Amino acid sequence: MLVDYELIQRARAGDGAAFNQVVLAYRKRILGTIARLISRPEDVEDVGQEVFLRLYFSLDQLRSAEVFEPWLYRLTANAAYDYLRKRRRRMESRMADLSEQQVLAADALAGGKADRDEGQRKSVRETVDALLGRVSEEDRVLLMLKEVEGLSLKELGKIYHVKENALKVRLFRARQRVLKAFAASRKQSAGVTGSR
Amino acid sequence: MDDQNPQVGSDEARLDALFMAYREACPDREPGADFMPQLWQKIEARDRVSTVFGRLARNLVTAALALSVLLGLAVSLSSHVAPLPSQSYVEVLAEDHARQSLDYFEPAEIVPAADQR
Repeated sequence: MLVDYELIQRARAGDGAAFNQVVLAYRKRILGTIARLISRPEDVEDVGQEVFLRLYFSLDQLRSAEVFEPWLYRLTANAAYDYLRKRRRRMESRMADLSEQQVLAADALAGGKADRDEGQRKSVRETVDALLGRVSEEDRVLLMLKEVEGLSLKELGKIYHVKENALKVRLFRARQRVLKAFAASRKQSAGVTGSR
Repeated sequence: MDDQNPQVGSDEARLDALFMAYREACPDREPGADFMPQLWQKIEARDRVSTVFGRLARNLVTAALALSVLLGLAVSLSSHVAPLPSQSYVEVLAEDHARQSLDYFEPAEIVPAADQR
């Protein structure tokens, strides 16, 4: 916890200054998570503000201060999901949306062979964004929370109020779809470079 | 089965590495200077909207209550002015029908003609 329970209790009771302190403590972490969930730097702050807005108006529904962090992550996941659904900028599972260069750069980065300059980082972001276009927005958020944010199944269970086994199955299927797309893109780019 | 396929295993590892690279490519970020002021503006704007809607809803409920009280009063007053008939509809109908039947079967008065007298 980045803040103590007492501060959350005060924010719950309608203390604006306490709420302000809670936002100040969590905003960097939440904005980072959102940036990774939506892959659109220009919209991160808007989605972040939506998360804290929802937090402000739903704090009175929080059962206890102990479950604050899963609650905040749940709001974050929901806001990112709503954003992604609105955007519908899914790549429709076509690796043609990725340039060969992007795939090669991402592949080099994945293999740890390249120095990571801004261009390559952008390439990685676009590659992962396109790969995640293979799964639904819901699964994308779930997969990101697990694979990139590093949340455990137990933590995810608390956020989603779902049993761990159900999450495992869902994550496995989503990962398999992404893996298939990743393998196909690598094969395709290898074929293109091999035929030259 | 997939675990025995080295290609799949290598793809798994590469995907993990790609996710890790993605994590590094999107580090936690500092919010802009306007983040907090904008957030509070949004909170106040939504608060205003919900206050207006709340007031509107309260007024609507009050108006609906007043209307139902008025309607209740009107109904009870009209029931005093025109009391309900003691007979049932069927009884009234049967009586009316009987009256009509009597009219129909009333024997005609035969007046003898003047030359027959």
